[in-house]
Amino acid sequence: MIKIPTRVMIVDDEVDFVEMLSLRLKDVGEVVTGVHSGEDCLAGLESGLTDVVILDIKMPGMDGIETLKHIKQKFPLVEVILLTGHGSTETAVEGMKLGAYDYLMKPADFSDLIYKLEGARKRKDEQEERIRKAEEKLLLRKTGGM
Amino acid sequence: MENPSLLLVDDEDHYREALARRFGRRGIPVVQAGNGAACLEILSRGTIEVVVLDVRMPGMSGLEVLKRIKEQHPEVEVILLTGNATTVDGVEGIKSGAFDYLTKPVEFEHLLGKIRQARNGIRRAREQKADAELRRQMEKQMIATERLASLGTLATGVAHEINNPLAIIKESAGWMRQLLQKQDLADMPRRNDFEGALEKIESSIERARRITHQLLGFVRRNDSAISRIDVGRLVDDATGLVQREAKNRNITLEKKAASDSPEVWSDPYQLRQVLLNLLTNALHATQAGGSVTVGIEKTADGCQITIEDTGEGISSENIEKIFEPFFSTKTQGEGTGLGLYVSRGIVEKLGGRIEVDSRLGIGSCFRIILPEFVKPK
Repeated sequence: MIKIPTRVMIVDDEVDFVEMLSLRLKDVGEVVTGVHSGEDCLAGLESGLTDVVILDIKMPGMDGIETLKHIKQKFPLVEVILLTGHGSTETAVEGMKLGAYDYLMKPADFSDLIYKLEGARKRKDEQEERIRKAEEKLLLRKTGGM
Repeated sequence: MENPSLLLVDDEDHYREALARRFGRRGIPVVQAGNGAACLEILSRGTIEVVVLDVRMPGMSGLEVLKRIKEQHPEVEVILLTGNATTVDGVEGIKSGAFDYLTKPVEFEHLLGKIRQARNGIRRAREQKADAELRRQMEKQMIATERLASLGTLATGVAHEINNPLAIIKESAGWMRQLLQKQDLADMPRRNDFEGALEKIESSIERARRITHQLLGFVRRNDSAISRIDVGRLVDDATGLVQREAKNRNITLEKKAASDSPEVWSDPYQLRQVLLNLLTNALHATQAGGSVTVGIEKTADGCQITIEDTGEGISSENIEKIFEPFFSTKTQGEGTGLGLYVSRGIVEKLGGRIEVDSRLGIGSCFRIILPEFVKPK
């Protein structure tokens, strides 16, 4: 079976972390971009080439939660997985209430990350599938009478 | 009045006894002594507060007795009785520490007034001393609490900061693992050495991660579940989990509790963690053949769980530090130095406290005191 790559964007102000995680995810077949701030993340999403954002909560400037709010407002179909420190589980829960798919504690386990990435990707695919079907129905109804 | 606190010292029996009778009629019991030696002997029993002392006595003179009293019992006040013509003795006496002097013949009410003054002075001094001691204790405790709080803030801050580089190390090591599985590295020279080193990095990351997470562990607030707990059952649960270890170490682990176990409303999972922590510590501190005893007592507003061991004990210099983060006497790698720190944090969050008594070579006793209902701080 050919793996369909998930298009991942990693957002973390830790440049080395983004680099290393990018290498690992690319190696297992994903398409990865890395950015280092919430602003760059939002700019990058404009192109519409991202399925899942891996988003660090603690960042200088626009933090993860703020970024998440903007993502969900402008790009509601993009799934978000939050990266948190251990003490900020509450923030992670708050993030999930705002629409994040799930969260991971730093340092995260790679297989956990892959598992959650797949789940997030699946949720996005299913949602897009439903939208496509709904659009088809809409189209049929509009043209149905002809 | 309970024990007589007034001592009359005079070699003239009639005079002394007459004075004693007058005190008696006022409801003030007195003790009498006919000479200096008897006086010092009575003082050594320790209930006397004020001495009325005649200066002119055969043998040991009044002034000499006074000096001895001030040497041996500095807290006792002395009122000197001097002959009419010998005010010099009185002044000399005050210089040596007498409270005051009166000249014979003494006006009784005057003497009584002086005795009251002396007594009030003693009580005031005593209260001041107790106050000062209390204040000193409180200051010491406050310094300890503040120190602990700032250390805690520092420690959690450090833990957060360390998690980031730790995540980078982890991903880098993981990346190397992935690379090692590549076809083009299949015949890499010294591959085993490389993998061995990588394994060490990975296990150390795991160790560091455990420390930072444990340290940040009790910072969580929302996910604690308060429920009604049968304390006896909770203790059984916890002792059950370490029973095997106790057996391996040949240590007797037993529970001592009344049949009706107290109940509290608290967080069972966090409390179990505390109990496990204290039990493991107790087992580690105890030699083979020793014992660890867990006691449960109902208190006026909750319960008290004691964990007593016959282990090595804690030295007095260490006992103030055991609740500090990263303080451990275990060998490097065995203890994180966070167990007691975290336990205390948990118990205090649940409205209780942990106390400890310990004697080197005899053992330690930890007490967890819990309120019946969690009082949020």
